[in-house]
Amino acid sequence: MMMTRFTRWVGFVNRNKIVESSKNETSFRRKTYQVKMVARVVDLRSDTVTKPNEAMRSAMAVADVDDDVLGFDPTAQKLEMEVASIMHKDAALFVPSGTMANLISVMVHCEVRGSEVILGDNSHIHVYENGGISTIGGIHAKTLPNNVDGTMDIEKIVKAIRGTDGELYYPTTRLICLENTHANCGGRCLSVEYIDKVGAVAKEYGIKLHIDGARIFNASVALGVPVHRLVQEADSVSVCLSKGLGAPVGSVIVGSKDFITKAKRLRKTLGGGMRQVGVLCAAAYVALRDNVPKLSDDHRRAKMLAEGLQKVEHFSVDLSSVESNMVFFNIKQTSKISPDRLCEVLQERGVLAMPASSTSVRLVLHYQISDSDIQFSLTSIKGAVEQILTDGTKNGAIVQNMLSVAQTVAV
Amino acid sequence: MVARVVDLRSDTVTKPNEAMRSAMAVADVDDDVLGFDPTAQKLEMEVASIMHKDAALFVPSGTMANLISVMVHCEVRGSEVILGDNSHIHVYENGGISTIGGIHAKTLPNNVDGTMDIEKIVKAIRGTDGELYYPTTRLICLENTHANCGGRCLSVEYIDKVGAVAKEYGIKLHIDGARIFNASVALGVPVHRLVQEADSVSVCLSKGLGAPVGSVIVGSKDFITKAKRLRKTLGGGMRQVGVLCAAAYV
Repeated sequence: MMMTRFTRWVGFVNRNKIVESSKNETSFRRKTYQVKMVARVVDLRSDTVTKPNEAMRSAMAVADVDDDVLGFDPTAQKLEMEVASIMHKDAALFVPSGTMANLISVMVHCEVRGSEVILGDNSHIHVYENGGISTIGGIHAKTLPNNVDGTMDIEKIVKAIRGTDGELYYPTTRLICLENTHANCGGRCLSVEYIDKVGAVAKEYGIKLHIDGARIFNASVALGVPVHRLVQEADSVSVCLSKGLGAPVGSVIVGSKDFITKAKRLRKTLGGGMRQVGVLCAAAYVALRDNVPKLSDDHRRAKMLAEGLQKVEHFSVDLSSVESNMVFFNIKQTSKISPDRLCEVLQERGVLAMPASSTSVRLVLHYQISDSDIQFSLTSIKGAVEQILTDGTKNGAIVQNMLSVAQTVAV
Repeated sequence: MVARVVDLRSDTVTKPNEAMRSAMAVADVDDDVLGFDPTAQKLEMEVASIMHKDAALFVPSGTMANLISVMVHCEVRGSEVILGDNSHIHVYENGGISTIGGIHAKTLPNNVDGTMDIEKIVKAIRGTDGELYYPTTRLICLENTHANCGGRCLSVEYIDKVGAVAKEYGIKLHIDGARIFNASVALGVPVHRLVQEADSVSVCLSKGLGAPVGSVIVGSKDFITKAKRLRKTLGGGMRQVGVLCAAAYV
């Protein structure tokens, strides 16, 4: 099932001031809303909204730093060595974002002009990274359909590999990308068996495997498989520290020493070489050290939320698809309740959510959302639904009235 | 083992001081990609205001600030940029404007004082009449202070002259102002006056000003809107980046 973000929803809640509820439509894609002062706001738009906690702020304040470009920043190095060790890879590199982590990985594996990469048509790299692998990296993208569970059919992958025999009209496939957990498919986990199979195909054809592991720790916790085992067959992995693990900024790329050496130079070229970056790495280190065990609570809360949503007659939720920290729910009659309208009303009721398509809404859990936040959210969602339906009925009644008046007048 | 080490390699080695560390520890942050980070916004508005430009954007490095600026001004394929053969962009930025941005570099000799001869600049402008063999010059880049020439300052008169040439030929002017505050202080000229004729400026906060990380690009609203999307594309869109902006603000 192809899910596209129908509207990119941006909401900003000012908690310190009481302002009039108003709509400021600056553009179709980005809308900024100011809301009446609510006692509570539960932000379920994404796990990127996590703010640095006390432990992180203390670590950042005392971090030992140095110029990471002229030489190396000791805190950055400590973080990089830790991540490499956890992943059982040789080396690692801290970068400002998951987008850069994926862009660098694809570009290094495909450094020879005329390269092609195989990836899912619903993958984050293909959908939400500005097409950078092509517009910046010059690499040709060959997309294959993502199944509902986030996988791509292995036979289709094999069929898609081309140019490795030097045919005159083809680019040369140099890389396959997988995404675990798969965001657009609902935070679904790719199994270790599937990844191993794809890895075997890659080796057979002499091509590389990169895993977009922005939420790899969520997959590891949900599947009960150590993270290094999950990524064993991958030549490189990108890991986000700024999502569910809660660091303010950053991702880490892991791979071989040669790969990371090239990645480091490309990072500089793209402009990601930061100076006393230990400030950020200190927080990321705390995230890694403290917050992995909390992910299982996020998954539990996701299931709680999904079960609560399933009881709402206007929604349909596939409970079996809730494997990690994301919940996608469908609205049965979008003529009465649209995802946009629902998210709008929800914001007034203190819950921030994102429309995922013209018929569905996405909710993402993270450790700064509590059990009581879940109950609050369910209450707000039910209230929002009632409010929209009542308004709709009111409006429907008004229209009916007008029609009958018009008919009377016409006669 | 020496009792004392004095690091004179670069002004990038500055470490965050107590005031910065306190500011970072209490910074008000939010997701700067999904919406906007309040501390980042505060810093950006401040820098734009100091420079008398309409808008600003915080980025992880001076390299990215220059790369984005050149790429936005030269967003049409087939562009050429005029810059000094001894400039930071040309020498120390991995040739990114070409290897990443696809822009052709036309270098002119830098004089010992950091300038390029104005007559040579004029002669180098090409393709603006649609000639078949030429790329189209869309941008001139200056660097103030000029690092490789010894931290030399470009005068406001020189910059104004280059700006006039740019306007005459319908091309843009970007100033690599990594150390623009050094130039302003050395010349005794307000920084906004120095960059008045520039369409965009990149300013480093992590050098002599001492912030741990970051640069800011300033320009028009349209320019910064495009710069923001390109920053995301290159991977410079950071989340709770107010942590860094708080130090930069100090």
